[in-house]
Amino acid sequence: MAAPKPRQTGWPIMPTDAASFLSIEQVTYAYPGERPTVERADLALTPGAFHCLVGRSGCGKTTLLKLAAGLLLPTAGSVRIKGEPLAGPSQKIGFVFQTPSLLEWLPVLDNVLLPISLKRRVRPADRGTARELLALVGIGDYGHRYPRQLSGGQQSRAALARALVTAPPALLMDEPFAALDAMTREELQDDLLRLTRERGTTVLFVTHDIAEAVYLGTDVSVMEQGRIRFSLPVDLPGLKGAESRYHPRFTKLCHEIRAAMGLRSEAAA
Amino acid sequence: MNAVRILSPTLLLVFGLAWEAGVHLTGVSPIVVPPPSAVLAVLWDGLVQGWLWQHVWITGLETVLGFALGATIGFLCGLVLGEVDFLRRLLWPYVLASQLVPKLALGPIFIIWFGFGLTATVVITALICFFPLLENTITGLQSAPPEKRDLFRMLGATRLQTLLRLKIPSGLPIIMSGVRVAIVLALVGAVVGEFISGGKGLGASIIAAQGMMDSTLMFALFILITLMGMLFYQIVVLAERWLLRGWQKGNEQ
Repeated sequence: MAAPKPRQTGWPIMPTDAASFLSIEQVTYAYPGERPTVERADLALTPGAFHCLVGRSGCGKTTLLKLAAGLLLPTAGSVRIKGEPLAGPSQKIGFVFQTPSLLEWLPVLDNVLLPISLKRRVRPADRGTARELLALVGIGDYGHRYPRQLSGGQQSRAALARALVTAPPALLMDEPFAALDAMTREELQDDLLRLTRERGTTVLFVTHDIAEAVYLGTDVSVMEQGRIRFSLPVDLPGLKGAESRYHPRFTKLCHEIRAAMGLRSEAAA
Repeated sequence: MNAVRILSPTLLLVFGLAWEAGVHLTGVSPIVVPPPSAVLAVLWDGLVQGWLWQHVWITGLETVLGFALGATIGFLCGLVLGEVDFLRRLLWPYVLASQLVPKLALGPIFIIWFGFGLTATVVITALICFFPLLENTITGLQSAPPEKRDLFRMLGATRLQTLLRLKIPSGLPIIMSGVRVAIVLALVGAVVGEFISGGKGLGASIIAAQGMMDSTLMFALFILITLMGMLFYQIVVLAERWLLRGWQKGNEQ
């Protein structure tokens, strides 16, 4: 008889730190002379998890994401990647911003290759990788165009390809689809899920859209006034895909999160 | 759109004809207001016989040299002041003060330093071109949006890489509008510089024509200077369009 695996009997929601890829421990951040925007936040991401962070504007979720990226350093507490404390922007992390932030003067393919070309000479193999990625995000024919010649959705796709080109084990995303129309957003959500699941990428995804968080996430945390108020795992067994959006369990989870955010939901009454 | 294209040159023609008729009807002296026909005849004469070309060449050379010198130094100083906060704060009042000195008033001292002729005019022209490039380069470098700066930090870019591959290209539209201002000022600087330093060139020719009360030649020179200005400006606009091709919306041609 084999020894029992402790993880199976452990806490399913909050994994121990040893198992997490990215862990945020008691992190506080305050801009000089102001009250903290993030206060004693705890968050742990297991490898391959898709963790969504929801909250109102100004609740500190973007600040927390920047702390996780190493773009900001915590005033107190620590951010660790595989147990190593983070002292600055890490190359193990890809970041997708609110706006696509493509460089207007470079064709899309060169934009996707930017993370590589800043490090070393671009090889023909890299171009191949970039072209494949563009095809995977559905804009394979647009590599030679300039960003301004692309629609908003296509620009977001290019930004996603750029974040993935170095195959980072973790991806941090700051409301990347917020500016897109509903149909384009749904397409991009499905593409994102497919790409990150294929590669086993760990994701921390910030959004203000509860339905988006439940649809994408394996875990959802609610943030309020700089603190993480509430976390819950999303269990929609065998229900990922467009039809899950209309499943009663999906709706129930959305209501739970709404309630945790202190929002009144008419349908739940 | 097409109507405007036809109408615009027609306007010039109508204006010229009205001027011509006005001169003949009022009987005003051609020394005061020369008729366009006489101006064009002198211009044609000068270009065909060739004695105008050497002046065009000299003024063109002064403009291009002064522009290249002033714009390059202005751009490089803009890079340094744009990147180093401390230097910008330290030197800005002096840079501004230096711009408020009327540079043409410096002409006489430059003639003492550099002698009559090309050098003094080139230096005046360069001084005039310096400021638009300096100011627009500083503004341009600061125009890169914060998200793109964060992107470069995330990607581990060095300070030099961020400057060369983010800040300068981001600021290029602003820097190029400085170039457009500078090229126009450069020609003015060269012509007026010649007023003071004399010798050859279109500006010097205007002073010479004034000495002979030859207002017909003066008008011919005005036309020539305007045409040169338009040519220089168009070259810059074409260069700008090529450099900023990525900024244009719509489909590729």
